[in-house]
Amino acid sequence: MKYFLTLITIAFLNTSFFAQASVCGQFHKKYCVLEGSSAGNWQYNAQSKSGLFNQGMVSKLRCVIYKGMDYRISVCCEVTIGDKVNYKIFDSRTNELLFDNATAEDTQTFEFASVSTRQLIIEVVVPKGATEKDKHKAADAACVGLLIEHKITDRQGFSSY
Amino acid sequence: MNKSTLLFLSALTIFTLSGCGDGEKTEEVETVDSTKTEEPKNGQVSETFFQVPSPGEMLTFIKMIGGNTKETSFLNPPANQKNYTDNKLRALNFGIYSCDLSYCSIFEIGSEALKYFKTVKVMGDQLGVATAIKPEILKRLESNIGSSDSLGVITDDVYFSSFEALEESKQGPTLALVVAGGWLESIYIATSLIKKFEPNSAVIERLADQKYTLENLVEFLKKHETDVNVESVRKDFEGLLEEFNKIAEKDAQATKTKDNKAATLTGGKQLVITEDVYKTIVNKIKTVRNSYTLTQ
Repeated sequence: MKYFLTLITIAFLNTSFFAQASVCGQFHKKYCVLEGSSAGNWQYNAQSKSGLFNQGMVSKLRCVIYKGMDYRISVCCEVTIGDKVNYKIFDSRTNELLFDNATAEDTQTFEFASVSTRQLIIEVVVPKGATEKDKHKAADAACVGLLIEHKITDRQGFSSY
Repeated sequence: MNKSTLLFLSALTIFTLSGCGDGEKTEEVETVDSTKTEEPKNGQVSETFFQVPSPGEMLTFIKMIGGNTKETSFLNPPANQKNYTDNKLRALNFGIYSCDLSYCSIFEIGSEALKYFKTVKVMGDQLGVATAIKPEILKRLESNIGSSDSLGVITDDVYFSSFEALEESKQGPTLALVVAGGWLESIYIATSLIKKFEPNSAVIERLADQKYTLENLVEFLKKHETDVNVESVRKDFEGLLEEFNKIAEKDAQATKTKDNKAATLTGGKQLVITEDVYKTIVNKIKTVRNSYTLTQ
């Protein structure tokens, strides 16, 4: 029973402090989650975010990833079926382009690890296309969700601290 | 470590080692070519958001690599809650108590977790999110004492409701202070658990890496610096960042991880912290944290 308390509290504190409420709310939790991803090995990362953005605009998110961890980024957008969100991942210090989903068949999900702890900039371009009608937002605005998940790559080899 | 925890850790290890691929991929580690440089777009950027990992992530990491303690002497005692009478201290200590709650739960100190849960609830009410913490939730909590899974579900409900209430009521500065308090407490707990400086310790490395998180946090605070309370905290954190900036850097070396099927981003820097810098940072963290908790 005790580990349930641990697990649920982890989930509790992993909640993003920055996610926008109101129109888009926890969009990323509803629409960016992969099918069959609830196995338990991936943990929700607090740096995930949803927001309302105008189509055609670029949005950036600067996050921190740690070495020794695996990460999975899933990007989704409130557009008609078939539209894809373009995103690129940069090293925030050097502006090195680390990943561009346009060169990977527009994949909406990217799994990776890093040899170093670093800040990444995830640049998301919201495509132009039809959006769902909603009285709370402009016609050309769309919800974008960026779901970040993590897991420890391997046991680090330290038995004590 | 009890049987349940061992079972959970074993399952997690199996999942980690087996990965989550489709089973057809090879065991080779894919390396992403990170030599291409491209300026991120600036022309139509709507906004840059600065994100901060949760306090729970740090504590979970410590737990996973072998931390096993029931020590609570360094936490902010729930009795101090009555001392926080202004909005700044209430928001900061809401974050601090939330982190303490996480610590007690992650390290399986159930009785203390309940106390901290109640404290978080009281402070949530004081922050103006009373509508999110309904009386019936407290009754559910009290009737589920001893049932850790139920307690966790209730905790989750309260947090989500409180968070959304803060956002919907446009309390961005309060949210910024909550984030700051939570992060600071997680680092304070980590340094309290470290009994001896060992440069190659995974926890020491993770502590040094907080430099990046702190940079993001300072940027986030800047977005709300027109608020006098946030501005004062930002100055505190920038002073702390000055100490973190004394940590040396060297090129990161690629390390091969067992059975890792994810792509690997190469490059970047490894932070190398000396004992002197570490001690300075620890003292600074303690000073700032205790100035928020009004403790010695």
